[in-house]
Amino acid sequence: MKKTVVIGFVGIQLDYAGKGSARWEKWRPTVALCQQEDLVVHRLEVIHDARSRSLAERIGNDVARISPETEFKRLEMELRDPWDFEEVYTALHDLARSYPFDTENEDYLIHITTGTHVAQICWFLLAEAHYLPARLLQTSPPRKKEIANSVGSYEIIDLDLSRYDRIAQRFARERDDNLSFLKSGIATRNPAFNRMIEQIEQVAGRSRAPMLLVGPTGAGKSFLARRVFELKRQRQQLKGRFIEVNCATLRGDSAMSTLFGHSKGAFTGAQQERPGLLRSADGGLLFLDEIGELGLDEQAMLLKAIEEKRFFPFGSDQEASSDFQLIAGTHRDLRQWVRQGKFREDLYARINLWTFDLPGLAGRPEDIEPNLDYELERFAAEHGQQVRFNVEARRRYLAFATSQAARWHGNFRELGASLTRLATLATAGRITESDVADEIARLTATWAEEPTADACAQVLGGEADQLDLFDRSQLNAVIAVCRASPSLSEAGRRLFAVSRVEKKQSNDADRLRKYLARFGLSWGALRG
Amino acid sequence: MEWIELDGSRGEGGGQILRTALSLSMITGIPFAIERIRAGRRKPGLLRQHLTAVQAAAAVCGAQVEGAVPGSQRLRFQPGPIRGGDYAFAIGSAGSSTLVLQTVLPALWYADGPSTLRVSGGTHNPAAPPADFLIRCWQPLLQRMGVTLDIQLLRHGFYPAGGGEVLASTAPVTAWQPLQLESPGPLQRTRAIGVVSGVPAEIAKREMQRAASSLGPLDEELRVLPANEGPGNVLMVVLEYPELTELFSACGERGLPAETVADQAAREARHYRDSGAAVGEHLADQLLLPMALAGQGSFTTHRLSSHLHSNMEVIGKFLAVDMETREMAGCYRVELG
Repeated sequence: MKKTVVIGFVGIQLDYAGKGSARWEKWRPTVALCQQEDLVVHRLEVIHDARSRSLAERIGNDVARISPETEFKRLEMELRDPWDFEEVYTALHDLARSYPFDTENEDYLIHITTGTHVAQICWFLLAEAHYLPARLLQTSPPRKKEIANSVGSYEIIDLDLSRYDRIAQRFARERDDNLSFLKSGIATRNPAFNRMIEQIEQVAGRSRAPMLLVGPTGAGKSFLARRVFELKRQRQQLKGRFIEVNCATLRGDSAMSTLFGHSKGAFTGAQQERPGLLRSADGGLLFLDEIGELGLDEQAMLLKAIEEKRFFPFGSDQEASSDFQLIAGTHRDLRQWVRQGKFREDLYARINLWTFDLPGLAGRPEDIEPNLDYELERFAAEHGQQVRFNVEARRRYLAFATSQAARWHGNFRELGASLTRLATLATAGRITESDVADEIARLTATWAEEPTADACAQVLGGEADQLDLFDRSQLNAVIAVCRASPSLSEAGRRLFAVSRVEKKQSNDADRLRKYLARFGLSWGALRG
Repeated sequence: MEWIELDGSRGEGGGQILRTALSLSMITGIPFAIERIRAGRRKPGLLRQHLTAVQAAAAVCGAQVEGAVPGSQRLRFQPGPIRGGDYAFAIGSAGSSTLVLQTVLPALWYADGPSTLRVSGGTHNPAAPPADFLIRCWQPLLQRMGVTLDIQLLRHGFYPAGGGEVLASTAPVTAWQPLQLESPGPLQRTRAIGVVSGVPAEIAKREMQRAASSLGPLDEELRVLPANEGPGNVLMVVLEYPELTELFSACGERGLPAETVADQAAREARHYRDSGAAVGEHLADQLLLPMALAGQGSFTTHRLSSHLHSNMEVIGKFLAVDMETREMAGCYRVELG
């Protein structure tokens, strides 16, 4: 059987009751904890300073009388000011580190009823951080009407909250609420996506470090960033604003000034001081979408701003400061971008701490249906008009949406647009089969008449036009195979089906990865 | 060896069942397991006052014990041979010295030699018989039954400060004498003993006056103890008969008027006195075990308490002795043998 050891301060006021026999009629927490009918204290160690030595000794004598099972020890500790947080914490931290805890054979309780409130706080912090392998013990005075009772009661508080069923349930419920919130209430079914949301929820709750969301356009990066911001604001972790900018839209001098601001007269036309987006995001969350498109100078400045929370506004020699949470988005393989010198390695290292891959719609076909319901609800909320699919119409639309024929280049954004069209055109709140047929025709036509918006254009944007037709045709074919393959290796096997036979070691996946890298592309970016 | 299984949730006397079982297990050598100790109470399981009895019993016979921790609802007790000798138990104020004495003394009647038992802690606690009861009421009857017993109150100990001490010497019983207590005989003397320690003597005086107004003329005995034995106050009403002495007590507490304390003791004394039965509720409880050990005996009592019932049940599991209760005019007759 383990021994029960209680450690606590002598209560200069609470434990003091004089020397007369009337002291037994007063509730003295340190004595009372040895009088509980269902708690045996095998050792009691009281902390006191030189001034209260005689009080501590008297307590020891009384404890010996009422509880012979209890071994009594005094720990003399000089505290200049028991209300000084730093001093008390340091003293108790030293005690916690030097105390010969023997958790195999002894069970430790920290008596928090006596001592200053500062001491209470320090005990709590030390126990919570596991510096003290102990539970907290609180003694309470008897109720007013029990005049003859001088023993009162006690409560043991275990800071391991998972041990309390009702609290654990509450956490689980809150967590579910958070997850649902991050997913905007969309009951997504894709297990990988749901796992990722759980991780984001944990990271958002515990860390202010930057996050990186990787995924094709329309996968919901910006949307998710905004939800993270709102979740953090609900939890009082952020007070400022949500600032969003697509780095692909920032070009030249104006990029610097848009992000970092400028002082009045910094350049021709700078007639007014401009705070810049970083300063606007102070205390809030800055979402830099397509961070891969940011120029190298801006990258350098951004790194400084993230690391030091300080930066120079354009044309200014006075540093400005801003403390913001950063979420970056990209559809590129930034590691590759780094290798090609297009992205700073140090900045990449800084934002690559929490990287989350957001699959495109093709990677999450099972989530089309929940998103469909969500989009219709959103339409209803925005337009005050409930729109529903006929059963057959819904079946047909889903069958098309999840089929190979549906390309969904724009991912969930495009799906949303399609549903908004259907809802707008529906008569009397019903989407019929013919409405669906029309929409399928529209989508098919759009995807067909995208000669310039070929696969290269989709993944590379404007840069596709810098390619020779020779390269572009080949890349288009490669992308098509990749999109039809479940994995990089499988795509490699198909693409190098002939030459691989002659090789001793098939390194198709590597060959393909290197080929894609030449265009700054990654497997993930193609899967959108 | 077959274990005796007991249900600790039965009846009111969770502690009484345990103490009787401990005594009888030591004497008979039969191990027992008790389950569901004080099940359904606000603080279920063993309390410290029960543990003091278990530990004392284990020390006297070298028992192997499992589950002797506060809050445990299950206890296994496997006794060894009872060893006579000089024992000292410090039990603090959590338990009552008298309850420990009552648990351990019967075992020492079967030891291999004489013993002394020194118990320090509470001697006058609210929920246990005061040491004076053991000395004035219980001891003379046991001596008549053939037991060598001398109990001395060395120092008073009240709840919560404790600090009292009782010393008992006893020896193995060579031959039990049957004891029949049909009627106490004519009341010879009524006494009120008012004890105070660390509280004004006035309180004890008021208690004794109040008892007199309820019970009629009585001899008052004021015991003023040194303040350091207190604080404490107890009123004991002692009824002396040719056959035996009975004692009823009540403890004073802060906030409880002296008159209320006095009424409590006097009411019990009057009920007993007016019933014509030989022994009161508590003495009946305490006589049952020695009589069962003697193999025979009888008494009349004015009340059949649930303690007495659970006591009988436990005794019946350890000893082959017939126990019969019969209702008579206004009281009950309990016969063993």
